Amino acid sequence: MDYIAFLIFFGVMVGIALVFVSLNWLFGPKTPQEYEDYPYECGVPLYDKSAQTTFHQGYYLLGLLLLLFDIEAAFLFPWTIVYRYLGVFGFIEMFLFILILTYGLLYAWRKGALNWQFEMEEI
Amino acid sequence: MESVWVDLLVAVIKILVILGIALGLGAYLTWVERKVAAHIQRRPGPMVVGWHGLLQPIADGLKLITKEDLFPRYGNRFLYNLALVMALVPATLVFAVIPFGPEFEVFGYRVKPILTDVNVGILLVFGLGSLAVYAIALAGWASNSKYPLIGSMRKAGIIISYEVAITFAVMGPLILAGTLSTYQIVQNQIEQNLWYIWVQPVAFVVYMFSLLAETGRVPFDIQEAEAELVTGFTVEYGGMKFGLFPLVEWYIEVLTLSAIAVVLFLGGWSPLNIPFVGFVDPLFFLGPLSPYAWFLLKVTALFLFILWLHWTLPRYRIDQITEIAWKIMLPLALLNIVITSLIAPFIWD
Repeated sequence: MDYIAFLIFFGVMVGIALVFVSLNWLFGPKTPQEYEDYPYECGVPLYDKSAQTTFHQGYYLLGLLLLLFDIEAAFLFPWTIVYRYLGVFGFIEMFLFILILTYGLLYAWRKGALNWQFEMEEI
Repeated sequence: MESVWVDLLVAVIKILVILGIALGLGAYLTWVERKVAAHIQRRPGPMVVGWHGLLQPIADGLKLITKEDLFPRYGNRFLYNLALVMALVPATLVFAVIPFGPEFEVFGYRVKPILTDVNVGILLVFGLGSLAVYAIALAGWASNSKYPLIGSMRKAGIIISYEVAITFAVMGPLILAGTLSTYQIVQNQIEQNLWYIWVQPVAFVVYMFSLLAETGRVPFDIQEAEAELVTGFTVEYGGMKFGLFPLVEWYIEVLTLSAIAVVLFLGGWSPLNIPFVGFVDPLFFLGPLSPYAWFLLKVTALFLFILWLHWTLPRYRIDQITEIAWKIMLPLALLNIVITSLIAPFIWD
């Protein structure tokens, strides 16, 4: 029952979002001009029609780190709730888990994965 | 059978109230922001449309609606529009688990001022919060233009860095509360006579940093960087489609994350707290409305604090932002979990 209200709210929000998307199409003027839909590039012609080529590899590394640590977070969430009933056993177990996690973080740090990846400049 | 219809009616009323808050207040917060920014910079701000510019958000909305529907010619139309839906829907759905006040009775029917008091409330908040990444990554990718792509990559990098810090930061209060239900977390703080900020100051600081980073507020707004990227991933959006992104990011997300901060750290709707002793309520004359007033006051205070930062500070570079997240915030949050689990037994009793 709790989730039915949530689902109704979800449906309403999707509807409102679609209205927002179509508002300009409904009420805006339609006067097409030759260069109005040209991608923004400081007013010069595009060197390359597609921008979806390569992006900085630093972001890829951040994604990998996120995967590692967010999965650990998924393990820790249930523990935070039942920690009260686990006592000393729960504390030691999770302390070891966080210790290993920290070791992984230190390893990534030592390897330089936490630094921003600058490109090598050739002179 | 009858009680099902009553439940549905109550749910619909709650949804209407939330929509009023999310969209109505969200729109008017643009006016608040412009006024606060103006007074920080010693100028009057919007003064022309209506008394002290009070009708300005409506004028802005009309202007945005009557713009032509543009679409960058090399882009992907489906993903371009999907990004808008993905931005608005998850951000607003977070309101479903925000408790505005204590349970009350209408016509012999008990009502909680929270849309759904699910027992995984906080998980839901962060699950929906993570979906914000898709909106931004899609917006930049589908535009197929250089500046939006750079902006969206930066923003996605910032969000996923602080996502980790924020999830580890909220675990401190969760250990103390022992539940994920937002309503129950506030109840436990009232029963324990303790706002969790008194024993979780580190987690609160990490949470506030992450809040600023996830919503793109100033010290971390490198994805916008007007001077180099001309507002980043929204470059190719026009009219109301453009208006939606700041509305979602700067107002709805800041509101929801501030409300969650109030729930986790500042005791939700409870009045002023003296740690371990009890609560003092200077607003007692409001009677049953006082909890709502307190909740509103706390969220407003956090919102104004964020505005104050936004219009005062310069911005960090992208490498500084991600390195702060991984090298300072994450170790602090991990340390906080260990210390919290040590002191927690003293607080439960």
